[in-house]
Amino acid sequence: MPKGPLALAVLLAIAMQANAQLGVTKMVGNNTSQYTTGFTAFVKAGYPVSDGSDITLEIGADIFFLNDGYGTADGTIMCPLVAGYRYTLNGTGEGFYVEPQVGFNLAGVTSLHDASGNQINLNYHGVVFAAGAGYLFNVWHAPFDLNLRYETVVDHGGSNNFISLGISRYITFGKRNKQDY
Amino acid sequence: MKLFLVTAVISILLSACLKQSIPDAMLAKENSGGQGDVTATLSYKINGNAVNLTVPDAESQDPNSYTLGCTKFGGYIFDAETSTGEFTYNFFSDSLTVGHYSYFGSYGDMFFIDYNGQDEYAHYATDSMSFNVTSYKNGLISGNFSGQLSPLVSASTINNIYGAPGSILITDGSFQNVPVFY
Repeated sequence: MPKGPLALAVLLAIAMQANAQLGVTKMVGNNTSQYTTGFTAFVKAGYPVSDGSDITLEIGADIFFLNDGYGTADGTIMCPLVAGYRYTLNGTGEGFYVEPQVGFNLAGVTSLHDASGNQINLNYHGVVFAAGAGYLFNVWHAPFDLNLRYETVVDHGGSNNFISLGISRYITFGKRNKQDY
Repeated sequence: MKLFLVTAVISILLSACLKQSIPDAMLAKENSGGQGDVTATLSYKINGNAVNLTVPDAESQDPNSYTLGCTKFGGYIFDAETSTGEFTYNFFSDSLTVGHYSYFGSYGDMFFIDYNGQDEYAHYATDSMSFNVTSYKNGLISGNFSGQLSPLVSASTINNIYGAPGSILITDGSFQNVPVFY
């Protein structure tokens, strides 16, 4: 088994909680007006390092469709793997939090048509930076995470920048040193 | 924690300063073919008065706001901001290729040139504007054009009033290394 997936599997195994999220996302920046609102999905594992903070590892997929007039499935797909530090502002592991993340885009592809009408597939990877904020809350006894984040993937001297809004349901496998979920 | 936050925020701010998306940056490298900065030019005479425009490093222009370029937008819009005003030409084609393109006044009123505040149109059936794209390589087009247009004398919500048919002659039109954005 390759080292990368093995490390991911180990971390997921020792993780104390995991999220699965769906959300909407919008590409921002120069020359992105033809991108429609996209979709984002990810799974995230977290390991508590204190009462109010977790180290997180996340793998996801971001999908953007390109409305370039060709009526085809042109667009961009990226699969970032990022590590982060989620810090709840009140130090309890609940409520508002901030979460900077850094990682690597495992795969990125943009399909489009050039000026001559020929289809082009551009493959890239890149470094990923993200800054997110959210709110951890319970609906009855089900824990949820409502979050907003700005993410950028940098490669080949350019960057794909996007803003995502999502809600996730997460499952805890262990308890902090206090009354938890 | 603070160091991590500050580092992340600075990294994001710096990366957000990159003016191109990854696909645009990759295509720009492919299109330039290692040829370095390209100078785009546009020149023509309007009733004998020369209009010239030169744009160094033309491929580095903002695709959303450029001085001389061509954008895919349904068809393709060739547009220039000269010292005397705007120059524009619409290629009504899904695919821009080397070839001859013409627009006649009989197709409907079409704006082409703003010359020192006077708008020149194809309005009368005898008005026309013709473009020859003689080269399309590495994302750059070159060619020539000519035409005869009519001045818009008075704009109105009901009926525009135009001047003498074909009284605006466009001659010696030439464009070189104009970048095509999409």
